[in-house]
Amino acid sequence: MDDRRQRFETLILPYLDDAYRFARWLARSPESADDCVQEAMLRAYRSFDGLRGSDAKAWLLTIVRNCHSTTQKREQRRAQVPLPEEQDPLDSQALIAPEPNPENASIRQDEARTLERLVAALPEEYREVLILREVEDMDYRGIATVVNIPLGTVMSRLARARALLKKRWLQQVEGAASVVR
Amino acid sequence: MSCAESLQVQAYVDGEADAMASAAIEQHLENCAECRLLHRELLELHSALRRELPYTQTPATLRAQIMRTLDQEKRLAEPPRRTPSFWHLRSYWMGAASGLGAAAAAAALAFVLLVPPVTSTVVDELLGAHVNSLMSSHLIDIVSTDRHTVKPWFAGHTDVSPSVADFEAQGYKLVGGRVDYLEHQRAAVVVYQHGAHVINVFTWADNRQSLPATVTRNGYHLACWKAGDLDNCAVSDAGWDELHEMVRLIQGASALEQR
Repeated sequence: MDDRRQRFETLILPYLDDAYRFARWLARSPESADDCVQEAMLRAYRSFDGLRGSDAKAWLLTIVRNCHSTTQKREQRRAQVPLPEEQDPLDSQALIAPEPNPENASIRQDEARTLERLVAALPEEYREVLILREVEDMDYRGIATVVNIPLGTVMSRLARARALLKKRWLQQVEGAASVVR
Repeated sequence: MSCAESLQVQAYVDGEADAMASAAIEQHLENCAECRLLHRELLELHSALRRELPYTQTPATLRAQIMRTLDQEKRLAEPPRRTPSFWHLRSYWMGAASGLGAAAAAAALAFVLLVPPVTSTVVDELLGAHVNSLMSSHLIDIVSTDRHTVKPWFAGHTDVSPSVADFEAQGYKLVGGRVDYLEHQRAAVVVYQHGAHVINVFTWADNRQSLPATVTRNGYHLACWKAGDLDNCAVSDAGWDELHEMVRLIQGASALEQR
């Protein structure tokens, strides 16, 4: 293995899982997440020489985000029909009650799926900052770098993302409760 | 949120407030019920997300494919290496005919056994090619269970002529052939099916690379052998016994072909 490849594997490759997770939350399908990560790793490999002591994780996630927006623009141009995943799950499922189940574990599972679904249904500009903060554990500065917005915007967007998630969560819980009753 | 301090409370929960700011916010929380509620909700949301959102990891197949892409990228950057020419092969065979070949072959075998396989790039290439063949629709270029169709097909498509035989009676069904780029040449891949397992048997011209006899990587088994001037490797997720049986059958068929 040459020096350059070695350097890449030490410096960038440890963040592959972060890149993959982020791509999965951004992309509409696992396949397009795969494509996006592959493309991002290749771009990273071609250009990481320029990376000097700055935050490699934020740098890589920035590339993933760029790849995602390129893919998305391409897909939007191509597709006249919206993908089924793009429907807001709230529209179709808010009125469907989770099956009443006395076991705590199952309720917990339902909750997990619901929360995951609600996060996935957030508008992209809210979803990405929330994921970067809560899943990828990035600080405000890192998020500002990846999303390319000022620190103040990171703060306000995070606050709106959380408020919207809370609102939808409460709607979900109340909706489910009223149907069960 | 109507309280002007709400973003500061959020920054406090996100670990962005320094000691001074933290003290100020803790003070504020004592006096503002609205922010106390927000503070609690933010903490609850944080732990719910940590607990409930899946912590996904990169699938091994994708990781392997990325590594393969990087290998190819490296190859593009390098000046192309010459593949062994006809004259190389001819002189090799003349050497073999003179009897020195036996010693050379023995030396090559010793080399194979002595060289540690861990850093072998050919293993990475083989694994990448195998995984890729399962993922993409590029498992088979020529679909045929007839060795008289598959073997001649390779003549026009690859640099080598591999042993091809159907061992359906023994449980190893010939399903087709494929070309993969391996070790800087067009390698022949004969595809067999054993139960639910796909076995890819790669054959390429020996370019004096060391080759591990057996190696397990990412859960896949690789069994390699040299035959004359050809390198061979069977790759599969089948068990070792099944893979060794496959190799034994091919070696037997190959010996018959030579006769």
